[in-house]
Amino acid sequence: MEKQYLIGEIGSLLGLSADTLRYYEKIGLLTDVQRSPANTRLYGDRDISRLRFILRAQKMNFSLAEIRDLLSMREDPQHSRREVRELTHRKLQEIESHLQDLTTLRDELTLLVNLCAGSEHGCPIIEGIEQDE
Amino acid sequence: MNAPAIPHVEIFVAPGCNRCGRSVELVASLHRELGSGSFAWRRVDVVAELDRAVALGVRATPSIAIDGRLVFTTQPSREKLRVAILQANDE
Repeated sequence: MEKQYLIGEIGSLLGLSADTLRYYEKIGLLTDVQRSPANTRLYGDRDISRLRFILRAQKMNFSLAEIRDLLSMREDPQHSRREVRELTHRKLQEIESHLQDLTTLRDELTLLVNLCAGSEHGCPIIEGIEQDE
Repeated sequence: MNAPAIPHVEIFVAPGCNRCGRSVELVASLHRELGSGSFAWRRVDVVAELDRAVALGVRATPSIAIDGRLVFTTQPSREKLRVAILQANDE
């Protein structure tokens, strides 16, 4: 049987407050959240998967409205509206561009760290950056 | 008629990098040995030209690129460098 989580447990697991979880449900980011006989919210694996998606998308600065559309695409990609498919395509391009930036930044920092490690006289890169300022 | 293109060697160095001086000297010495028409070379300070270094995939110094392609990521032997330059000359 699928494990179910109380709102406080989800908060601890994902770092989200109970208010945030209720708000996400209210604006349609979470749908069909189950209830216990005592009417307490119960979250399952599907909800956790959606919430993790939301958190990742927020890190990319997607708006909640965009995330809601992307979630509908995630739920049923074959029957998504044209605008949602276009949005998904645009967001994919944003991510690809972001990945390229991150890769370049990672490569730069790797070089800087290696230079610092290889120097007997402190960190030449940091000194170079300070001189530029 | 244009003169045939000669290989361009870039040695990526950094301040405080002890082995970098030896790599520069190695390239300069090969340049004297093979003749000035055999290849062109320049010393690239990665602090001053970080974008160029990253674009070529330089992760540490000394590194050596030939014709914009990273070939050595540490100081090569004189023979290996000579072979790489001569191969580039044939291409």
